[in-house]
Amino acid sequence: MNLLNYVPGNSFLHRLNPITKLAAAFLYGLACILCGSILMELGFIVLMIAVCAVAGLGKRALRLTRNLLILGLFMFVLQLFFVRTGEALVQIGEFVLITTGGLASALLLSLRVVATMLPLMLLFAITPMNDLCNALVKKAHLPYRYAFILTTAFRFVPLFSTEFHEIQDAQKARGVDFETKNLFRKIGLVAPLCVPLLVSSLEKVNSSAISAEMRGFHLRTRQSGYKEYPFTGRDVLIFVILISLVVFSALFL
Amino acid sequence: MIVADHVTFQYAESSEPALRDISLSIDDGDFVGITGTSGAGKSTLAMALNGIVPHEWKGDFYGSVKIDGMDTVEHQTEDFCRKIGEVFQDIDSQMVASVVEDEILFGLENFGVPHGEIKIRLEKVLEDLGIPDLRKREISSLSGGQKQKVAIAAILALEPRILVLDEPTGELDPESSREIFGLLRKLNEEKGITIVIIEQKIKLLCEYVKRLIVLDKGALAFDGVPGEIISHIETFKTLGINVPPVAELSYLLRQSGVYDGGITLTVQEAEKMVREVLHDPV
Repeated sequence: MNLLNYVPGNSFLHRLNPITKLAAAFLYGLACILCGSILMELGFIVLMIAVCAVAGLGKRALRLTRNLLILGLFMFVLQLFFVRTGEALVQIGEFVLITTGGLASALLLSLRVVATMLPLMLLFAITPMNDLCNALVKKAHLPYRYAFILTTAFRFVPLFSTEFHEIQDAQKARGVDFETKNLFRKIGLVAPLCVPLLVSSLEKVNSSAISAEMRGFHLRTRQSGYKEYPFTGRDVLIFVILISLVVFSALFL
Repeated sequence: MIVADHVTFQYAESSEPALRDISLSIDDGDFVGITGTSGAGKSTLAMALNGIVPHEWKGDFYGSVKIDGMDTVEHQTEDFCRKIGEVFQDIDSQMVASVVEDEILFGLENFGVPHGEIKIRLEKVLEDLGIPDLRKREISSLSGGQKQKVAIAAILALEPRILVLDEPTGELDPESSREIFGLLRKLNEEKGITIVIIEQKIKLLCEYVKRLIVLDKGALAFDGVPGEIISHIETFKTLGINVPPVAELSYLLRQSGVYDGGITLTVQEAEKMVREVLHDPV
């Protein structure tokens, strides 16, 4: 399962205006950045998962959290070794010194990373890319060509990955063994595949451009979009809640 | 109507011309099949017929192509892209959206079709192609045949008078290929859309098209109704093009002097012929 795929649904989260969803994800992230308490960061993560669970996305939220925690762990380790304030907790030899200040700031930072990224990642589960871009063109007056770049980039990811596997299979058929445990050896084997991948991708991009051109890409204006994305009371409510959350987090947490 | 007059084209990075001195005209309402071995210039010809060559592919272009009297070199692609639509060979890369509905909307929105009419056209084209149930589906989850239909629908929604398809059945199984050909015949007969199709499967071409064009190394090798291929079967063989076995059978029977009727292009016709030769009525 791709963790950035759209999950079809009709929950209250799905029904929000795409721009509201985008803004909400950013505001939630901002609140997490402003927050300075380890406990409250944990609270933000749990709250996000709970909201998603209500919208039927609990499984996706948990899987994302788990993946983000790996990134968080990396940040945690780095921070733990480099921040040396407060009391010394453990000292091994000359170089390793773990302090209370280091521990606290490492915990805060890693949880903050998870809490900030989570809503942004979940945005893709509840918003079809096309809707997000169309809404940005209509409401935020984003030039269509930029919106098109964004949608196309997302659409091409699975195409490229299929392409990559095809090239890899072709190499396997010629006796290249990719199943090595040695990371450096693996990189050495995979890196040369980037050239054919790049060449075939460029060809795809070119035919994609011609096809869009033949269907009047350059004639498009902001009014062209067929779907409308009106803001409703629900959207206003979400904005009010999230702005209060940011203010609350900045002042009290 | 498309008129090509002594068209020669050589890609910028190539040392050999891809098309050599091609003159032909395609009438409104025709159903033309273009075939030839790979590298014969089929795709280049298709792209020359709708102005992609030489606008999007650079190279030396001689002669002229006129679409309804408009010269493709003098006009920009946007002037005739509403008259002529092309379904490209690579299905995945010609898609612009991830959901079927958005894919079909793309061209309609771009061409500024009034929003009231967009809804009608969208529903109609899905209906015409028999895919209304795919409307909300993700394109990446569709089968090859379904994707091909979506690609055709996205072009047809723009209501072109001429439809050019570059190997639309290239990655399809025999049954889906036949389905696509049947669909094209329906569009040709019922809506009078001119169809130009590039295809390797000569058996299907002989059965469905009204006119067959064979290219060899960029030049016209044959241009006529499928029934006429009987007098060219030896030429076809030297070009490396497999004629349908049923056609070859009628040719061989004629050579041996036991049969003097016309060429057979379908199994049913061939059965009739064999029964006739064997004096074995049904």
